[in-house]
Amino acid sequence: MSLYRIEIDRSLCSGFGSCADLAPHLVQLDSSGIAVVRVGETDDELALEAAASCPMGAIAVFDSESGKQAA
Amino acid sequence: MNGVLVVGAGLAGARCAETLRANGYEGPVTVVGAEPSAPYERPALSKEIISGAKTPEDVLLRPHGWWAERSIDLLTGVRVEAIDTARRVALAAGRELEWDHLVLATGARPRRLPLLPATAHVLRTVEDAVALRATLVPGARLVVVGAGLIGAEVASGALALGCDVTLVDAAAAPMVQAVGAEIGSELAARWTRRGATLRLDARIASADEDALELADGTRIAYDVLLVAVGAAPTGEPGAAEGEILTDSYGRTTRPHVYACGDVAAFGRNRVEHWTAAAGQGATVARTIVGEPTPFDELPYFWSDQFGLRLQMVGDRSTSVTTELDGDEDSFSARYLDGSGRTVAVLLANRGSQVAVVRRELAAAA
Repeated sequence: MSLYRIEIDRSLCSGFGSCADLAPHLVQLDSSGIAVVRVGETDDELALEAAASCPMGAIAVFDSESGKQAA
Repeated sequence: MNGVLVVGAGLAGARCAETLRANGYEGPVTVVGAEPSAPYERPALSKEIISGAKTPEDVLLRPHGWWAERSIDLLTGVRVEAIDTARRVALAAGRELEWDHLVLATGARPRRLPLLPATAHVLRTVEDAVALRATLVPGARLVVVGAGLIGAEVASGALALGCDVTLVDAAAAPMVQAVGAEIGSELAARWTRRGATLRLDARIASADEDALELADGTRIAYDVLLVAVGAAPTGEPGAAEGEILTDSYGRTTRPHVYACGDVAAFGRNRVEHWTAAAGQGATVARTIVGEPTPFDELPYFWSDQFGLRLQMVGDRSTSVTTELDGDEDSFSARYLDGSGRTVAVLLANRGSQVAVVRRELAAAA
């Protein structure tokens, strides 16, 4: 099982919101509709799906142990 | 086990391959793409590649090595010539590729107009974008035939680069297919204020290597000509061009053959936008691994042009009226059908409302 760290480039976020729909416990939209990460680390693979769903490519997910980008 | 062969290395094909691995598929996965590049973000071509904000390297979907690390065999610059569904093989570059499951993600080809010179630019691939970008020097006269999404984005980018830009379209307003005539007219006024010349209701009578002539006698000289009049689904290798019909799981009428992305009439509905290609590619992967879930996402596209980020949620094709709210720099347009139900919403520089609108329309669907 991998642990993941989620990074969001808020300057790229367009407020589409698919990330928060897929993984509301990991990502939410702030009052201006821009995505923010809710957790430090997670083992939930939904983080990968949330990243892949972003049309702006604003979300990156890294494997906490290796530091390699996982999505 | 021969695994999955994905024909087409655009977003739909790439997303299918990576979703197979993410869902535990352990057989061979091969992605064959006719373009020389590894999979990339096509929306960036008319936006950041034209503006110069990004290079082709920047818009790769995944970093180098990503595919091999997941044991996805990516064959670029290879065109699949024919498919034999009885023997389950594909012919490419003199090789026979065997498969258990075949995913057709062959995309679409830009339309050309027979009247226009064969040297006219089109914009579909990263090579197209790089070639077009190189011509957009300050003072260059760019004529764009087709004032749709791609034409608008290139026109906007070229103006910023100091080009002299004229858009020519047969319709009375630009972007009619994307946003409808009413909002299209609003956008036309904005484009004109920002320095673009629009030739609407225009019929091209003739063209040569340095000018177009319209049916009303107007002659438009150009240095660069871009034809941006849409794209036609490529079809199946070795067969006639056209869309490939699937159910909402991506299954075609033939066993073990699937389609997704621009080529697919996915669930009988062909949509040429990013979220459709990504979602359909993932849907096909889940169908193949035996965890089928239908693709039923609302259509969505975005466009960056003339200082606006436009974001459209929903399918406005059944709308009869439009309700506009806001001003020219930030507005929303609600598209209502005959019974007054909102079927789509366009947001301009109102990104904070996109998620709210998506939920509203999804709940109403």
